[in-house]
Amino acid sequence: MTAPIIQIQDLGLAFDGFTALDGVSLDVMAGQCIVVCGPSGSGKSTLLRCVNGLERFQRGDVVVDGTSVRDCRDLPRLRRGIGMVFQHFELYPHMTVLENVTLAPIKAKGLSKAEAERVALHYLDQVGIADQAGKHPGRLSGGQQQRAAIARALALEPKVMLFDEPTSALDPEMISEVLRVMLDLARSGMTMLVVTHEMGFAREVADRIVFMDRGSIVETAGTAQFFSASQTERAREFLHKVLAKI
Amino acid sequence: MDWHVIQANLPLLLRGLGTSLQLAAVAVLLSFPLGCLLAIGRLSRRAWLSLTCGGFVNLMRSNPLVLVLFWFYFLVPIITGRAVSDLGSIVIAFVIFFSVYFAEIVRSGIQSVGSRQVQAGLSTGLTYPQTMRHIVMPQAIRAMLPALTTQCIVVFQGTTVAYIVGYDELLHTASMAAERTGRPVELYVAVAVMYFLVCTAGSLLARNLERKS
Repeated sequence: MTAPIIQIQDLGLAFDGFTALDGVSLDVMAGQCIVVCGPSGSGKSTLLRCVNGLERFQRGDVVVDGTSVRDCRDLPRLRRGIGMVFQHFELYPHMTVLENVTLAPIKAKGLSKAEAERVALHYLDQVGIADQAGKHPGRLSGGQQQRAAIARALALEPKVMLFDEPTSALDPEMISEVLRVMLDLARSGMTMLVVTHEMGFAREVADRIVFMDRGSIVETAGTAQFFSASQTERAREFLHKVLAKI
Repeated sequence: MDWHVIQANLPLLLRGLGTSLQLAAVAVLLSFPLGCLLAIGRLSRRAWLSLTCGGFVNLMRSNPLVLVLFWFYFLVPIITGRAVSDLGSIVIAFVIFFSVYFAEIVRSGIQSVGSRQVQAGLSTGLTYPQTMRHIVMPQAIRAMLPALTTQCIVVFQGTTVAYIVGYDELLHTASMAAERTGRPVELYVAVAVMYFLVCTAGSLLARNLERKS
């Protein structure tokens, strides 16, 4: 059996006396889509940010494709292999969409401008906004912006994609266009770690669902089992609230 | 009132204005890069660097320009035992003094961009310097443009301090002419008009740049 592409081992992180992560362990196999859910402040985003070393943890380790994040001497190189999508898109407002997508392939990966643009247009086409390439992000709708941000991450041809509440800042009518892109991506075999409250998405594509609360994984279960028979009271309570939405 | 005295001394005054503009240009060109370094140092996560830069900024901000100039003009030669040229001490004093004001402008500009943009850049495998250069600084400079032009105008007005050590900038030139001709009112009015015109031109330019960006 092959080793997991992401191994999170007993991860611990505290700042200012607040324990953000308290011994989190999780394995993700290549090609899997794992959905992480839980109430706000439960450490989901922090967990994601530890995977690509944006957050420094104090205990445990994350091993991504054989590279230990704790001991990593070349984080930029590690991060090129890990795409990340943020809640508020974080496109660069002073650049066009195309420049947003080509910046890292040119500067970090060393592609020529022409090659980077070819790659960028391929991924912009994949997320359905190739016709917006020449515009600045401010001229795009929220859904288009988030799809551009996904293309920016994909343009580095990462082995793993991290999604940090990618639809939480979107108007309801734009959520589905972003979820559709993510769904296609998951079905194409991309390894994905997704923090989201979109339980419809989770039910559709997740291989496993991880429920976090107060910096720990409370429950991890196959998707069908999680929705039909959550083992813990807290997960059931959370599911009830999220699904009822009132 | 004898307005002919202005006409007669106009070439002299214009030369003084030229000197003031040159002095301001040199001061800005040297103190802005130094200010950028101070700002980046102050925002550093290394405590010693941040504290050193912050301390320097606060020390300089709590001293008047005239005193800083005195330091370099009178005291440094005494301490080092070596004479510093008039222009040398003026330029050093101006650059050190104004760099801390630029540093504060640059710092707030960088902070206005926000750490989430930095994280986005880092997450795509850019190094921290690359992220600063391609993502943070272009946005920061756009945000700072109004404050930067205001500061350039302040530097230009600050060149009058060189008067104290008898350097031939605009104000000193005018005061010499006033003494020689016995016509201070006319000459100081002319100087005021010159400062007004240059500063207004600067503000208009700034507003134009702002609208474009």
